[in-house]
Amino acid sequence: MTAVLTMWKNTRMIILVAVCAAIYAAALIAFKTAIPLIPGITEVRVANIFPMVFSLLFGPAAAWGTAIGNLIGDIFGGTLGLGSIFGFVGNFLLGYLPYAMWTTLKPLANGERAITFAGWRFPVLYAVLAFVSSAACGVVIAMWLQVLGLVPYQVLSTIITVNDTVASLIGVLLLLAVYGVVQKQLRLLWWEVMDPADIGQPIAGTVGAWLVVVGAVAGWILGAYLFTGQALIIGIVATVIILVGSALL
Amino acid sequence: MNIFLYLDENTWFHRLDPRTKIIGVLLLFGLPLAFNDPRYVGAVALGLVALGAAAKALPNFWRMRYLLLLLVLFSSVLWPFFAKGPTPLWSWGPLEVSRESLLFGIAMGLRLASFVAAGLIFLSTTTNEEFTQGLIRLRLPYPVAFAFSTALRLVPTFAGAGATIVQAQVSRGLDLESGNVFQRGRKFIPLAVPLFIYAVRHTNLLAMALESRGFSPLAQRTWYVQLRMRRDDYIALAVLATLFVAAVALRLAGYGAVLPRL
Repeated sequence: MTAVLTMWKNTRMIILVAVCAAIYAAALIAFKTAIPLIPGITEVRVANIFPMVFSLLFGPAAAWGTAIGNLIGDIFGGTLGLGSIFGFVGNFLLGYLPYAMWTTLKPLANGERAITFAGWRFPVLYAVLAFVSSAACGVVIAMWLQVLGLVPYQVLSTIITVNDTVASLIGVLLLLAVYGVVQKQLRLLWWEVMDPADIGQPIAGTVGAWLVVVGAVAGWILGAYLFTGQALIIGIVATVIILVGSALL
Repeated sequence: MNIFLYLDENTWFHRLDPRTKIIGVLLLFGLPLAFNDPRYVGAVALGLVALGAAAKALPNFWRMRYLLLLLVLFSSVLWPFFAKGPTPLWSWGPLEVSRESLLFGIAMGLRLASFVAAGLIFLSTTTNEEFTQGLIRLRLPYPVAFAFSTALRLVPTFAGAGATIVQAQVSRGLDLESGNVFQRGRKFIPLAVPLFIYAVRHTNLLAMALESRGFSPLAQRTWYVQLRMRRDDYIALAVLATLFVAAVALRLAGYGAVLPRL
């Protein structure tokens, strides 16, 4: 979590925030009206192939970039509203959780930031994190929009979770294509750009990672399918668990 | 294609300080939030249309007409199945629609459309530079505001590059028009890879350009544009704050709700 705050001291990381935000927003705007799922709230988000790739490459810059990019997408798309507040938080998590859990979700994770594509670990961890980060984003946004009385939790949490998971899984093709370029030619992998002293250590990484998994998965399944009458309360509790878990990473 | 929503007019709204507009739009968001009776939310929505007309923002309302219409229709259809009311109108198995839930659905559609309308008035009357400057003066840390404003400037560049890449790939035979959602998603990869590389290559150049000019994220700054709150700003904020307090007071007194607990 430390790196999310200390990265603002680093010029390259600040530029990466802007670049990530601009790419994400440009893609969101391009596809905003293509296939709406809930008009004004969400659509088939082809642009969501980017956040997980950004996250594994650019770390904390991706978290802020994804959040700001979503806000800009709302601004240019004309859908800026109170929902944009938790849209910011949800998309922040979408960009934050993959890189933060990549090293902490043990025993699936081995603690290495660099990605090794060979072997079972990469596809399994990638798929799990694609799902967990999408569900966390879905739970947080759906809870807030239900609080505002805009869209039922059951509907939106499922749409966002499925939508973002599918897009993140497709995004693996992008990651495979650009990882070598970013690592060897551009030298922009986040842990190489940032001063090691600024990166810091997780407070309780593995505990935090599993808290996020429990909050995201339970929040979605219990609230959307098993106890629909208590969806809002489940959504609020799950959001708190996800945010506490995220802070521990 | 112009992706900006700002309309270059010289209305009273355009001349307001960006801080007033940012706080004002938050207060405007609060008005439809206070009610769930379609008559009350409808009155707020009509008021916003009148504000939009005064701010000469109606061309953007027209540009977003399908979205606004869909918002109302979608919510009106969806919500009645999730909100429960005491006067049943129709039921089929576990699905039940009541008079109150139907009215609630219409109100939620109008609420969502009101949010979009308030946002449109703000975006139609505020340039990106004013928005960023307003955020900074509202104590948003400068590096965050800098990233935000840089991203705002880069979006049209990347959108243009994206359009060029699409044309180039289509001319090489990429078919973007056919296939289901998953197949179309996969077809986005040949577009995303060159866009990503093009964009990320900017990073090192931009960072070097900034550092060579002495950019320091945490340095104390002075501003060329000096914002000043005027009498009109205080009047606008006082009127909006009064309306907001009145809306909350009405709701607390039991008005404006078809489903009181929601």
